[in-house]
Amino acid sequence: MRLPAILVLAFATTLSLAQTPSTSLVPKSPSTKAPAVTYLFPEQVTIAAGKPTGVDLHFRIAPGLHINSHSPREAELIPTTLKFDDSAVTLKGATFPPGTDIAFAIDPSDKLSVYTGDFIIRAEMVATPGEHLVQATLHYQACDNSACMPPHTIPVVFDVIAR
Amino acid sequence: MKRNIVVLAIVVAVLVVLSAAGWANWQNRKAQAAHILAQQNDAVLVPASASAPAHFSSPLVGKPAPNFTLSDISGKKVSLASYRGKAVQLNFWATWCAPCKIETPWLIELEKQYAPKGFEILAVSFDDLDKDDPKLLAKDKAEIVHGAQLLHIGYPVLIDGDSIGKAYGDVDVFPTSFFIDRKGNIVAASMGLTSKDELEGNIQKALGEGK
Repeated sequence: MRLPAILVLAFATTLSLAQTPSTSLVPKSPSTKAPAVTYLFPEQVTIAAGKPTGVDLHFRIAPGLHINSHSPREAELIPTTLKFDDSAVTLKGATFPPGTDIAFAIDPSDKLSVYTGDFIIRAEMVATPGEHLVQATLHYQACDNSACMPPHTIPVVFDVIAR
Repeated sequence: MKRNIVVLAIVVAVLVVLSAAGWANWQNRKAQAAHILAQQNDAVLVPASASAPAHFSSPLVGKPAPNFTLSDISGKKVSLASYRGKAVQLNFWATWCAPCKIETPWLIELEKQYAPKGFEILAVSFDDLDKDDPKLLAKDKAEIVHGAQLLHIGYPVLIDGDSIGKAYGDVDVFPTSFFIDRKGNIVAASMGLTSKDELEGNIQKALGEGK
């Protein structure tokens, strides 16, 4: 008699869990608590050792937000930059996408060069032979259409296999 | 033998129901993920208009303004307590904040307009300060001075706003302003770029003239 009771209990528990709405996929409103930018991929790349190789790094900006491009129009604005802190894999250069011009309706003449949505940075890297965990960083400063958040740095982590 | 068949039937039934629930759950998650991806792909920047609603809520409204002492850009110590008897707008800003740049000319005009009635603005810079490196610290301060000059700010500009941000509700969007009455109580707050009219309304509240 005990076995059917356990089975019924397990069934009821599992069914209730299965019907619980997923919270991980519910979009959250933009906040400085959550990074405005997310590194998407690649998680792993294979390149030729000792040879400069371009790798596309994909990022996503949260809906409703923008970040300054790599070349903002004013010196006071903080550009988006990529940095490698790794001796085995060195960043020889990075090609950033051009920014999109936007302006506040109240001051259309004052243009800002920004990224929105998804964007790609092509990182030119050179690696010594072997497998390396690259721990790069992306530095940016995000705003929405009425307010700005402090500059922020996110990790950009991926494996490099250099043969 | 009969009991075993019953148990086996229950086990099979449970497995069938679980599989069905799992399938339904997976379909639900897939639909939600597709919906979110579609929203992200469609994301467009809509510039704010002057009449766009700003964010107003602050639990500090109605409470005494937390006191502080900060240095201004000339090195002089400035304490909020010394402004008791005046209406004060505490304006958190940063040199890298584009909406702050739009708001500042309005603040300069409003400060001139309402100063005779006892109104003052204290700009509190949230620019980073490299406190451990004297050379970098000097450079940081020079950049704040330069930013304030570019915007023609005549009212006091205080530095190291980060050190009082927590006391003011963890300030983390810019511009953010708190409007403080003559008794030192916060009567209004605004977060993000508002309109000049809205700023003026809050200044009038701080002066005790608000509707």
